[in-house]
This record gives sequence, C-alpha cells and structure tokens, in this order.
Amino acid sequence: MAVAQENARPEGRSSSPFWTIARRDSLAGFLFIAPQLIGIVVFVLIPLGLVFWYSLHEWNVLANTFTYTGAQNYRMLMEDENLLEVLGATAIFSAGLVIFNLSLALLLAVLLNQKLAGIAVFRTLFFSPVVVSLVAWTIVWGFLLQKNGGINGMLLTFGIEGPNWLREETTAMISVIVVQVFKNVGLNMILFLAALQGVPKELYEAARIDGAPAFKQFRRITLPLISPTILLTSIITIVGSLQVFAQIAVLTQGGPGLSTTVLVYYLYQQAFQFHFFGYGSTLSILLFAIVAILTFAQWQMRKRIVFYES
Amino acid sequence: MADVTLSDIRKSYGAVKTIHGVDLDIKNGEFVVLVGPSGCGKSTLLRMIAGLETITGGTLNIGDRVVNDLDPKDRDIAMVFQSYALYPHMTVATNMGFSLEHRGASKAEITERVNWAAGILGLGNLLDRYPRQLSGGQRQRVAMGRAIVRNPQVFLFDEPLSNLDAKLRVVMRGEIKALHQKLKTTTIYVTHDQVEAMTMADRIVVLNGGRVEQIGAPLDLYDRPANQFVAGFIGSPSMNFIEGKITEAGFQTSGVVLPLPKSINTAMGQAAVYGIRPEHFRLSDHPGHAGVPAEIVLIEPMGPETQVTMKLGGNQVTGVFRERINSAPGEVMHVSPEVGSIHLFSEDGDTRLN
Amino acid sequence: MRADISPRTKVALYGVMCVLLIPFVFPTWWMVTSSLKPISDIFAFPPQLVPQSYDWTTYSKVFELQPFVQQYWNSAYIAAVVTVGTMIISSMAGYAFARIRFPYANAVFMIVLLGLLIPSEVTIVPLFQMFLKAGMVNTHWPLILVPIFGAPSVFATFVMRQFFVTLPAELEEAARVDGLGRFKIFTRIALPLAKPALASVAIFTFLHSWNLFLEPIVFLSSAEMFTLPQALTQYTDAYGGPMWNIQLAAATLTALPVLIVFVIAQKQFVEGLAHTGLKG
Repeated sequence: MAVAQENARPEGRSSSPFWTIARRDSLAGFLFIAPQLIGIVVFVLIPLGLVFWYSLHEWNVLANTFTYTGAQNYRMLMEDENLLEVLGATAIFSAGLVIFNLSLALLLAVLLNQKLAGIAVFRTLFFSPVVVSLVAWTIVWGFLLQKNGGINGMLLTFGIEGPNWLREETTAMISVIVVQVFKNVGLNMILFLAALQGVPKELYEAARIDGAPAFKQFRRITLPLISPTILLTSIITIVGSLQVFAQIAVLTQGGPGLSTTVLVYYLYQQAFQFHFFGYGSTLSILLFAIVAILTFAQWQMRKRIVFYES
Repeated sequence: MADVTLSDIRKSYGAVKTIHGVDLDIKNGEFVVLVGPSGCGKSTLLRMIAGLETITGGTLNIGDRVVNDLDPKDRDIAMVFQSYALYPHMTVATNMGFSLEHRGASKAEITERVNWAAGILGLGNLLDRYPRQLSGGQRQRVAMGRAIVRNPQVFLFDEPLSNLDAKLRVVMRGEIKALHQKLKTTTIYVTHDQVEAMTMADRIVVLNGGRVEQIGAPLDLYDRPANQFVAGFIGSPSMNFIEGKITEAGFQTSGVVLPLPKSINTAMGQAAVYGIRPEHFRLSDHPGHAGVPAEIVLIEPMGPETQVTMKLGGNQVTGVFRERINSAPGEVMHVSPEVGSIHLFSEDGDTRLN
Repeated sequence: MRADISPRTKVALYGVMCVLLIPFVFPTWWMVTSSLKPISDIFAFPPQLVPQSYDWTTYSKVFELQPFVQQYWNSAYIAAVVTVGTMIISSMAGYAFARIRFPYANAVFMIVLLGLLIPSEVTIVPLFQMFLKAGMVNTHWPLILVPIFGAPSVFATFVMRQFFVTLPAELEEAARVDGLGRFKIFTRIALPLAKPALASVAIFTFLHSWNLFLEPIVFLSSAEMFTLPQALTQYTDAYGGPMWNIQLAAATLTALPVLIVFVIAQKQFVEGLAHTGLKG
C-alpha cells in the first residue's frame, strides 16, 4: 500500500504519510481522555496504592513515627472487637436502606405512572428532598426526632408516648435509615419511572386480552422488563449506602454505643479523631474490598435476574 | 467536476476482506449507481471514496489527485446520507451553509450560495426552520442543498431514498435526476433498489460479495446480463431460472423441453441454467400448437398486466402477461418463451453461454 | 397502565399519595416555620404547625456567630467551579470513549471505571497526606481538584459516554465531509446535542459538591474556609449542644435557594435525570 502511494503521489499533498487519519484520531482520543486519566491516576490509583502501603505501617502522627509492621494492622483488624459490631451495623444499615429505598421508589414510580391530573406536582414534591442540602435535611430530622421534638409532639397529641429516637439502639438505626431513604429515594423513583414508561403499552394490552389480572401483569411483565434498572439502582444504592457519613455524624455520632457506627464513620474516627492513620488505612482497604465484592457479585447476578437487556 | 478513478481498491478489516479489488473509471459528469444486495460492499466502497473509511489497498483518484490519505474535507466531495444527517440544532440555512463557514467563506458569500441552492431545490421559505419541523421529502431536499452549495467535484449519495415512502421515493428520484441534468456534477449513487438504479443511472455497477459482477448501461445489463447473479438482480419480478441440459431438441428439463436460441457457444449435452424474464412468456392461443403446457398455481391481476405463477413440468416459474387470464388455479394453459430473449448460463451461473 | 381509572380508585390514589408525601414535604415546612419561631416555642406542646409568633432576630444571629456570607460564597463558588470543571472533563472523556477509536481504549475505560469502585472515602487518608505535603490543607483545593479529576467525575464521564454512544454516526460523518476536525465536531456538533446529558451531569455534580461533608471536615479547619454543610453543624452552645433555632435558620438559608431553583426548573431537572442513559 505504502509503495503504491509513494509512486502515485503528486506534489503538494496536504497530509504527511505518518499522520494518517487513523493516527490523528488516536492522538485526539488520547488528548480527550488525558485529563480524566491523569486525574484518576493521581487522585484514585496512587492514593489506593498509598492506602495499602500505609496499612502495612504503624503510624503515630503525634509522635511522628512511621514503622513498617507488615500484616500487624490486619491482625489487629481480626482481633478488633468493635469491628464486628461496626460491620454488623454497616450490614443492617445497608440492607435496610436498600430494601426500604428500592421498594418505596418502585411504589412511588408505579403511583406516578398513573394517568392522573396534577401528577407532575406530586412528582416534584416527592423529588424535592434530593435537592435539599443534605446536612440541612439531616438537621431538621434530628430536630424532629428529639425526645421533645415534633414527631413525639404529634404522637403525644394522639396519646402515644414516643421513644427517644436517636438515643435507643433500635430506633436510632431505624431513624438514620429512614432519614436517608426519604432524602434520596426520589432519584431511584425517577429512574424507575423512566423505566416504567419505557415498557411498551401493547404488552399490557396483550396481557389484558389474555386475561391477566393487574398484579400478575406487574409481576410477569413490568418487573422483568425493568429488571435492568432494578439491578442498576440496587448497585448504586448499595455502594452509596456504604459511603453514608454526614447523616451519622450529625444525627447519632455513631451511637448509642456503636449501634450506628458504620464502617466509614469508624474509619473517620480511627484516622482523624484518634490519628491512627495506619489502622485507618487498613479499614479503608476493608471498605474497598467490600465495595468491590458487592459490585462484582451484583454484576454476576445480572445474568440470573435480568431477563431483558435493552 | 472531475473524473473518479478506482484502481484495484481493496478493503479488509484485519484478516476479513470485504472489497476484493475494484476497478472503475467514472467520467466527468457521469451518474454512476452502485447496486447490490445488502452486505455487498457498495456502501463501504462509497465511504472509501468519501474518506470515511480507510483504503486498505489500491489507488483512488479524484481529478488528477491521489486522495487515498486525504481527509474527507480535502477531497472536494459532498455526501447525502441515508438518514440525511442534518444537524438537529441548526436551522436549514445554517445546515446548508455550515461547510462553507468552515472553508472560510464570507457571510455574504454563504448567504448567496445558500439562497442559490434553496432556489434550485424550492427551499426558500423553509430556511429558518429546524430539521425536526420538516417532512421527509423536505429533509431530503435540505440534505441535497447542503451537498450542492459548495459546488463540489463529486456528489456521493448513500441510499438517500430508503427512508421515504414509495410515492415520495418516485418523486425524489425524478428530482435527483433533474438536479444532475442541471448541474452535471459527477455523481456516485448507492442503492439496493434495482429500480432506482435502472431509472437514474448512466452506468450501473453491480456488486456482490465485494466484487464487481458487471458494469454497464441500465438496458445493457437488462438485455445481456453477464452472469446469473446480475440476471437475477436486475429486473422485477426477477428472472426465472430453470436447470436442465442442452440437447438438439431444445433445453431438456424436468417434464418439458424449452426452445433454445440459435447461437450457443457450448457443447450439446451440457448441463446449464435457462433464464427467462417473466415478461418474455407469450400466451399460445392454440393449445398443442407451439406452446408448453403450464399448470396455473396462482393468478395475481395487477390491472395493466397479470402475474401468473405456474408450473412448467417440475419447474415453478412466474410469467407476466398483458392479457387478462380467465383461467383458475389448477387449470392448464399454454405458454411459449420468446426465443430471442432467452439467457443461457453455465451450470455454476458464472458465465453467459449465448 | 390502564386507559381509564374509576373515580373511586382516583380518590384512593390521591389519598395514598398525599399520606406518602408527609415525610417528604413536612420536614422542609417544619424547618422553615421553626426557624421563625421564638426559641421558647420551638419545642412547644402541642406542636405549632404554623408559628404563633415570629422572631426574626434568629436570622441575624446566623451571621453574627459565623462568617456565614463567606461560607455561603465558599460553597457556591466551589460547587460552581467543580460543576463547570466536571462538565468539561467528563464530556471530553465520555466523547472519546464513545466515539473515537484509539488503541487501548477499552483498557483505559476499565481503569477510569475503577473510580466508581473506589469511593473517595477509601482514599481519604492518603489524599489528606498528599494535600498536606502540597501545603493545600485548609485550602479549597482538595474540594475542587478531587471531585473534578477523581472518582466523582467518573460517574459523569459514564453518563456522557452513554449519551454520546447514541449519537448517530452519520452526523459526525456529515461534519467531517463539511470540513470539521475532531475538536470542532466535538464543540460544534456533539456538545450542543448533549445538552440534556450535560444538564443532568451539572445537577448531579452541583448537588454532590454542595452536600460534601466528610472532605470539608477533614481538610478545613478555620471558620472562614468552611463550607455550608460544615458551618451548619457549628452553631452550638458552650456545651456542644445545637442551637436549634439558629441551626434551622442557617439550614433554611442553605436549602431554600436550591429548592426554589429546582421548582422553577423542575421539568429540566427531572427529565434531565431520567435521560442520563441510566435507564439500563
């Protein structure tokens, strides 16, 4: 090819032989992704390497010592009695959050998918907490959930004496889950609504002609067809639940006891309150491993639960 | 305006070869149609001429320049795409003037050229609209307007009519042809529709499996297809093919003997394929006289003509008759092939035998 | 789903939705009204759904106790810079991954997607050390650089890529024939058509930056550098207990502007999010 072109090439050709169309495009491609790629290397991959490196060290910030101790931090991890409680709280929090969030989001999406006048107003209102500042939202709920706060006040007008929500183990966990769900369920609701609207109307018409009752239509048509969205939102929601920090810090500070100390909050305490950077890094590795395993597992489940790929 | 010359043009994706050496000389001002079934490589070939696909081997000349490695913008071509590819966020006028804008034309010049093109295509009152506000035919015209504004050396059309309904397609066919007669710009037009190819082309290139099957004027391809593929592809309804043997008595096939043309360049006793177009059957008025008995399978009256599916011995064929047929399926009528319009092909279909 | 809904079902549906709305709408109402009540009334029994008397001095205290205007500005400008920066970086990367063929594209995409797997909480310790070494602790740089270049922008890149994948190839080819190079195709054709995706990226990114909490409390230590979420938690009395009415007033000032913008532009907001290509 090159030889034939050399022979046939008249003078004054505008493109040099090295910078072919494909080569110029490759260069453009690299330039376009360069900022992102460099950013990922500097702000994600190098820190990830460092966090692993730190996790192999005993690091006392106050005494300014940094000593290689090998797997000692990991042994500490195995022997950390608090950690079991922390992981338990994390699991309860994430599971509760995902189940409550996804079912409420689906319920709201199905309601909003009905042809009713003024449905857009409801959609806007259900979505509105998403745009309310997270800490502001959490502060109001903290205020509402005080022993003498708004919620117990309401309950008392009906003669019910409410608990001290944020100071009792069970209700504290329920509270942080509920506050977080109402804050963000609007996002999943919108994604589900878009998915529901993408289900062809003809399928429901066909099912009605076949005599399938409404709940059966939902189970046999709607759910399978929106299963990709369910999977996607569940991945996003689970990974998001592992990052929840502000709500815990503002509402319960991890208490009472360790009952709402989720892994991120424990990590923050160890590293930035107690200055155990080495052990904090070990906890980071643990957090990373959990996120990676969960994402991988859900990706694998894709084959089994997703009936339909758009 | 310019000649376009393809010399041994090849394309492969890794080890997969899709175009196997195409040679084609297109003269200045000619309207050439590349036609073939889907996957034959016609669009790839056009996109290689446009510069949208790289050329793996061979030489492509536009005018006296080798353009193999040039960007599309440096080839001085314009292209009309199957989906029209109008920029949705720009008005008709901006769409049409966009290429001039990027060639450093002045505003006045752009306005003048756009108005000229809009005048030719009857788009004058649509210039401020957006593509989504236009009908299919109007979009098609804007796409052509965008191509003609900068007066390129070559127009390339990639199945431009396939998104239109049947009626509009006929109208736009006429308009494209008229436009070519007015501007006389070298045009390369890709379609899978042989009717478009027949009606529009100065010359047709029939492609199949990345190879040129035949190049010629529309009626030459119709009258003397070089092989069984071209014979079957050109003409609608397509040509009937009957397998059999050439004998002294005629063409021997299951149950019947069909008349052969006089000049045949092959030996007696040879197996061959007998080709006859549906419109080249005649009704024989006197049964037993000259015709071949044909059992009627299906009758489809079209108005001006009648299409009949029938059995000649063991062979099911289609005939088209000007006469109205009053028989019913299951009955037998007599037909005779026009001996002068018979096509004989070798058994493998690759060569013509008469 | 059904073409017709009977009037009785309609009433039931409206009823269910109104009840469900309470936890979504009431907190905001309670925040605004309580911030206007005198401190003696905010825990009054029975609860006052509408303030019986108003105390506006709470709002002036918000500004007296902390440099709240400065903190407001900090949050606003950081969110704006992060949003614009992320839109630029992620649209370029998303475009390249979707539309440009270049060597190792898939490998590079996998590396970038790692960012989704590694939340910034995982890397907060080394990031703190890195910014400490660079002398950027107690500056806004960590809150700007990490979201734009690090893990948070990966999601934006993914959204942009999903959008650009759906862009018809013929549009770009037409632009090439019309004489545009890669960069011009990106700025003149692809980006203008990507407005819906860009809008949702902008919304996500703004909210993410606006809500950031862990990073500010790790990286920032002086009140005039604080961002709003962090500042809200600082309205405490001598014993560390929250000054509820002042906190609520500051929270109202933080939440209401965004809420108002949302109500005005809610159509673009919600539809933008639905069009993120997240549909599956």
